[in-house]
Amino acid sequence: MADDDNIEVDGDNHVNQEEPKGKRAAKHDDVGTADLEKVTDYVEEEEISSQSISDAMKVMSDRKAKEAHDRQIREKELAKVKINKEDVDLIENEMEISRVLAERKLREHKGNVVDALVELTN
Amino acid sequence: MPTSNPLPPKENALFKKILKCYEQKQYKNGLKFAKQILSNPKYSEHGGKFVARLFWFPHSNNFAETLAMKGLTLNCVGRKEDAYDHRSDRKYDEAIKAYRNALKWDKDNLQILRDLSLLQIQMRDMEGYKDTRYQLLVLRPAQRASWIGYAMAYHLLKDYDMAMQVLEEFRKTQTVKPFDYEHSELILYQNMILFEAGKYKEALQHLESYDKQIVDRLAVQETKAKLYMKLNRKEECIKVYQELLERNPECWSYYHNLEEAVKPATVEERMKLYDDAAEKFPRAQAPRRLPLNFLTGEAFRKQADLLMRKSLHKGVPPLFVSLRSLYACPAKVKLLEEMVLGYVESLKAHKLFHPDDPEDEQELPTALLWTYFYLAQHYDHLRQTDKALEYVNMALEHTVTLIELFVIKARIYKHAGDINEAVKCLDEAQSLDTADRYINTKCAKYMLRAQMVKEAEDMCSKFTREGVSAMENLNEMQCMWFQTECMRSYEQMSKWGDALKKCHEINRHFTEIIEDQFDFHTYCMRKMTLRSYVGLLRLEDQLRSHDFYRTAAESAIQMYLRLHDHPVSDEDHTESADQENMTPSELKKWKSKMRRKAKQEAEKQERIKMEEQRKEQLARQKAQSDPEADGPKEEELVPSKLQKPERPLEEAITFLQPLQLLSAQCMETHTLAFEIYFRKGKVLLMLQSLKRAFAIDPSHPTLHTCLVRFQKLVKDSTSLKPTIAAVLKKEMQSLVQDKDPATLNKEFLEQNPLSLPHLLAGAKMSFYLDASSQEKSISLATKLSADVQGVTIKMCSEVLNSLRCGDFGSKIDSEVESYRAACHSRFPYASCFMTTVQQNHIKQNAVSENNIDNNAIEQNS
Repeated sequence: MADDDNIEVDGDNHVNQEEPKGKRAAKHDDVGTADLEKVTDYVEEEEISSQSISDAMKVMSDRKAKEAHDRQIREKELAKVKINKEDVDLIENEMEISRVLAERKLREHKGNVVDALVELTN
Repeated sequence: MPTSNPLPPKENALFKKILKCYEQKQYKNGLKFAKQILSNPKYSEHGGKFVARLFWFPHSNNFAETLAMKGLTLNCVGRKEDAYDHRSDRKYDEAIKAYRNALKWDKDNLQILRDLSLLQIQMRDMEGYKDTRYQLLVLRPAQRASWIGYAMAYHLLKDYDMAMQVLEEFRKTQTVKPFDYEHSELILYQNMILFEAGKYKEALQHLESYDKQIVDRLAVQETKAKLYMKLNRKEECIKVYQELLERNPECWSYYHNLEEAVKPATVEERMKLYDDAAEKFPRAQAPRRLPLNFLTGEAFRKQADLLMRKSLHKGVPPLFVSLRSLYACPAKVKLLEEMVLGYVESLKAHKLFHPDDPEDEQELPTALLWTYFYLAQHYDHLRQTDKALEYVNMALEHTVTLIELFVIKARIYKHAGDINEAVKCLDEAQSLDTADRYINTKCAKYMLRAQMVKEAEDMCSKFTREGVSAMENLNEMQCMWFQTECMRSYEQMSKWGDALKKCHEINRHFTEIIEDQFDFHTYCMRKMTLRSYVGLLRLEDQLRSHDFYRTAAESAIQMYLRLHDHPVSDEDHTESADQENMTPSELKKWKSKMRRKAKQEAEKQERIKMEEQRKEQLARQKAQSDPEADGPKEEELVPSKLQKPERPLEEAITFLQPLQLLSAQCMETHTLAFEIYFRKGKVLLMLQSLKRAFAIDPSHPTLHTCLVRFQKLVKDSTSLKPTIAAVLKKEMQSLVQDKDPATLNKEFLEQNPLSLPHLLAGAKMSFYLDASSQEKSISLATKLSADVQGVTIKMCSEVLNSLRCGDFGSKIDSEVESYRAACHSRFPYASCFMTTVQQNHIKQNAVSENNIDNNAIEQNS
């Protein structure tokens, strides 16, 4: 990590001179271009004082773990649904959508192809 | 940096230089150094770290891409080069993959994580963005961007509580300086989140407790007013809006909200609000104009009289425009007309707005001029062309140098359908003041309407950059009104290739605008302009709902449908069609004409070729001198190729998809979708379009034509898959109640017997279902009796086109001719209902006059 930080801070400037800044400004005959250039200028990140950070971090990581858990359960439920390959083919072909999406829609409707299609035509 | 294989000092120094070059946008130098490292196979695994970054960057040229590919192939084992797609919009996806691969080597690399997060927000991969932002926060909890970014991820995922919690933790660590704009923005951003979460009470408390730290006072007041309104605290709400009016007494929405808070029970009470305001702000327009929306009868007349006199006395040109919305109500139109006609009489006779006014209030002659000016627009709006022209001519007699009058005159002719005359008026207007860009562009626009593309380009070139063709410069400047009008013009001339080129150009502008947001992901986070940043992200998500895109896309789809139905053949056969029916002398004439034409054509081709060569040379020179200036090369748009698309329907779908996503409230989106899928034979996608269209307006004429054709298709087909049939059975019930197409059409016509658009749709379908009903169908479509609604120039020319292009079968020349004549007598000015001889005559006149003008100019100079 240390490397990266150093790079941001130090580094020599001699490569700087070749950049054709003038040419760019001339391209749009507009003063605003110079300001636009600043938009992407590199600026050093400011540091903030770090008290009480660890508490907040803990809340956040707990929250994150729960989210991941919920998602897993939902995915597992969906994976359990038995679906028919022909139905997936039909949905994919008739609705012109990706196979992944077709399969997912079918699973969400517990494998009922008519229901899935009704939802997709809404 | 934990790497499996740290770089030796020399390479490490090089590596640092590369990063520096990258940050300072010196890609060329950066690549040079990168190449030096990569040329040594020992260190190739480092490739992924920085080369990935060069990979997606829009400014990098082909060299960077090849090099980046090299780095990637070295880095990610088994990756195939051909997986790389040159289309720029797909590159972000590829780049995300490349970054993920690079992270496998070095999972805590800050720079890669940061860049990855930028890509993810650009692609709106919000879940991924949240995860990356989390990692950044863990790695760098001391940096404020880490916190803001993480909070924003939750905000955009609509998890307001979490976003608020993160921001609160962050805010606690901040020390506040006086007049700290960035901190003020942070507080307001928090408040925005609370507001969006619907926690109005908390938001108000929050706003009050941090009031002193906020610099943007207008935002404080406006938010407060909104919050009071939501919390039903009327007293405070009224007070804040009164204060806001002090700031800006012309803001319509303040008055509107004030009314909402006061909830006046009677018209008098409502009027009192505005009277008070008018007294307080005697110079403000809004409190005088707004009551006209709800007043009626005598009260309306009095208020309008007040406003009109003031404006006519001062000479306010946009007076009519500000009153135009009142014209939806016929009673008000009548009152206004009587009043203004009264002014004219009185001004002519006594120089007073009313004969009984005191003598010392005599008006200057300009008052009469502006009254004529108003009346011309008034009658134009009511489509009473003759009266409108009468008044505008009277005004011109009064003051011949007033440019606005020519603009109005041109508009009257345009609305009457005589675009050539309109162009003449505007050409005169712009010659009176060649430095007025508004008039210049107006003139160019009208020229495009008259299919004078070359002339319009010349007109615009007075204001575009010298040395470049106006067309190119306008494209570079993303001047979309010009391109839209240009596209329409080409469409009218059946130059499908050129018209499609314009559509694609407009589409590319939108892509470019979306790409341009990239820079703001870092900039806004750093400058803390978070409210505007969220606003920007939301705008970009909706970008293609803009009218410019919609018009371009709808036209593109229509043209692709046309090209699917009637592909362009290599030679134009139309000219030779009548050869067999000619007498020998005619044939001779025709042949010599064709020879001349061929010669001209060859010369023209030669010129075009030269021009292209010159352009190519220029482009090459430009490319050599400034290789990094432009992004990845876009495929060039060649009209002759565009008009022969290999898969027109697929092309149409690419234009359709953003419409379905963002303009779902428009009827055309779904009827066009139906047309595409009808041709592709995709029954369920047709059903989808019909269901969506039906939800908007079940009795829409275009939808009706779709429904009838669909029902016929379904009834006639015998080999529908059982699943599809089941879906149709379930869903069609609510749309057509299982009626057969003929009944459907009959009922539709019975329900809308006096509306021209509906008559046309119904007539088309009755001929479609039963060709023997030709005569009856045509008489339905060409009905022009006085009680028929919706008879406009546009609608009638649609009927005429429909007759001409064979929607009602062939051998109907006499019917077409008599309909044209009927329309001509109804709209005598409209050139589209004139005979071809008349039209040519007008065109020649326009051309010869133009030549005279040009000669005169040359002689003068």
